[in-house]
Amino acid sequence: MKALKNYYVLYLFLIPALILTLLFNYLPLFSNIIAFMDYDIFAGWMGLGSKWVGFKNFAFLGEGWFYELLVRTIYYNITILLFSFPASIILALLLNEVSSNLFKKISQSISYIPHFVSWVTVAGLTYIFLSYDNTGLVNNLMTTVFGTERAVYMQDNNIFLPLLIITQTWKEIGWGSILYLAAITMIDPQLYEAATMDGAGRWRRMFHITLPGLIPTTVVLLIFSLAGLIGGNFDQIFNLQNQVIQDQTNTISTFTYYEGILGARYSFSTAVGLFQGLVSFILLYIANYYGKKTSGTSII
Amino acid sequence: MAAEPAMEAQSHQLTKTSVIPKAKNKIRTTTGEKIFNICNITLLLLLCLVTLYPFWYVLVLSFNVGIDAAKGPIWFWPRDFTWDNYNYVFHNPMIKSAFFVTIGRAILGSLFSICVMLLAAFALSKRFLPGRRMILYFLMIPMFISGSLISNYVVMVKLGLLNNFLVYIIPGAFSFFFMIIIRTFIEQIPEGVEESAMIDGAGFYQIFIKIIVPLCKPILAAMLFFSIVGHWLDFGTNLLYVNEEKLYVLQYVLYLVVIANKGSDMINLMQFSGTVPTVKDAVPTPEVLKMSTLMVVTLPLLFVYPFFQRFFIKGMMVGAIKA
Repeated sequence: MKALKNYYVLYLFLIPALILTLLFNYLPLFSNIIAFMDYDIFAGWMGLGSKWVGFKNFAFLGEGWFYELLVRTIYYNITILLFSFPASIILALLLNEVSSNLFKKISQSISYIPHFVSWVTVAGLTYIFLSYDNTGLVNNLMTTVFGTERAVYMQDNNIFLPLLIITQTWKEIGWGSILYLAAITMIDPQLYEAATMDGAGRWRRMFHITLPGLIPTTVVLLIFSLAGLIGGNFDQIFNLQNQVIQDQTNTISTFTYYEGILGARYSFSTAVGLFQGLVSFILLYIANYYGKKTSGTSII
Repeated sequence: MAAEPAMEAQSHQLTKTSVIPKAKNKIRTTTGEKIFNICNITLLLLLCLVTLYPFWYVLVLSFNVGIDAAKGPIWFWPRDFTWDNYNYVFHNPMIKSAFFVTIGRAILGSLFSICVMLLAAFALSKRFLPGRRMILYFLMIPMFISGSLISNYVVMVKLGLLNNFLVYIIPGAFSFFFMIIIRTFIEQIPEGVEESAMIDGAGFYQIFIKIIVPLCKPILAAMLFFSIVGHWLDFGTNLLYVNEEKLYVLQYVLYLVVIANKGSDMINLMQFSGTVPTVKDAVPTPEVLKMSTLMVVTLPLLFVYPFFQRFFIKGMMVGAIKA
């Protein structure tokens, strides 16, 4: 009570944050229980008067399509990560080796630009570039340079994954390199001096000093990206999809959107979403465990 | 205290010595290094080109007459220059209202969010506050487990936030991650400053207003920028929770025009209401309307960003050290 009297101002300061967290983080967490109901949004307070049905909504666990969806979600995300993640490290290394400060600054600033653009814009650019008519840059290039026929790229589900990789890398390569560049500045300059004395050239200094110096940062960032592995990318996939290839390119997050919100199958999609959350959590745990084991860095 | 200047001098020396090998490199650059440099600069130039050209290409086409653009490829410069495409964009009533909604949510939302986070960060920077650890855990847990798309939706419906302007402002206002960055910044302020104010009889409230807020300006500028960016780019909130036309944000209108292909409907609608010229050549094709809309939605942020660059780089660093 004495604490309350002395510090009541501080507790008052905390109230907005606590209320917001309770309402918009804990309440949704709690309302995941609708996965075990036959949810009717109008039955009682918060629809909590709905009928309990146990695990009926989890019947999808025995059906093939769900595993196809899950595997595709993980496959897409790992492949994207595999390409876009090292790209930022390479960019940081390249930027670090530039001797002209002005050039370094300008190219850095330019490389951040796509981070300040929404996925809608990126998808829009993609549509414009790949369009069939004469405004489609890729078709224009292909016909003028290689003399090939014009193609309808956006309806070809075989190039969907490459598109995801290219757009993700294009958008985040520069922004992703900021933290690596920061880590590089922390490396002890004496190491470079000693290496130069011993006759190491730029390649060897890069591979034996800079790159090992980046390992802790890399591990932490990798764990964070693995944690968001199967939840993220909704905006990207949703905007790059179209009805022709929707069924072949859905991931769990877009699927729950179409089924749950457009189709109003609340309980069913919550069950799918819950399963997604479970898989994410397991992935985070595994990543964290291996991160701790291999380099002594972890986030939880 | 006495050790500090010495340390400073030492670090100064360090940076001095670290310059020397670089200078050496310049004197005797081997052919290998020369090739390395050329390759490196070429790669970076290529990256800049790949980053900028898409915007340039769309900008060029957005200034070209639509029917002419459909006739043959355009690469670097408009062939048949016109302002009419933009005329259509700015006369589009949906875009106009979306501009107001987006700017409104960006300003109100960012200010609200920063207030909430700064207040919490100040309170949580006080290590003597009873129950501090518990509160921290309470706020941190949602970083790791969260509700699903649908359970969020259900909560929004029940809180009456569907088709409500407040849905843009309130739900996303508190971010644990950004709050911790602000707190780290507050903890770096020397304790003596606050203590002396306390001795002079200032309460927590006065300390907060008179000392913390002014001293936190750099980090608040960074947070303000991140928050505005977040609001400007947010598309999901509109998609999920709003389907009333007068509450649409820019990104959603862009989605309708460019991705859902509602552009030609809008052209017809505008012509019907007689707000734009309907001369045959002045009417944009859906393709060029897409491009001019894309530019109008995307460019404002890209013009603001260079001015904030030094703030957000610093902000990122503070966060990185903490992480």
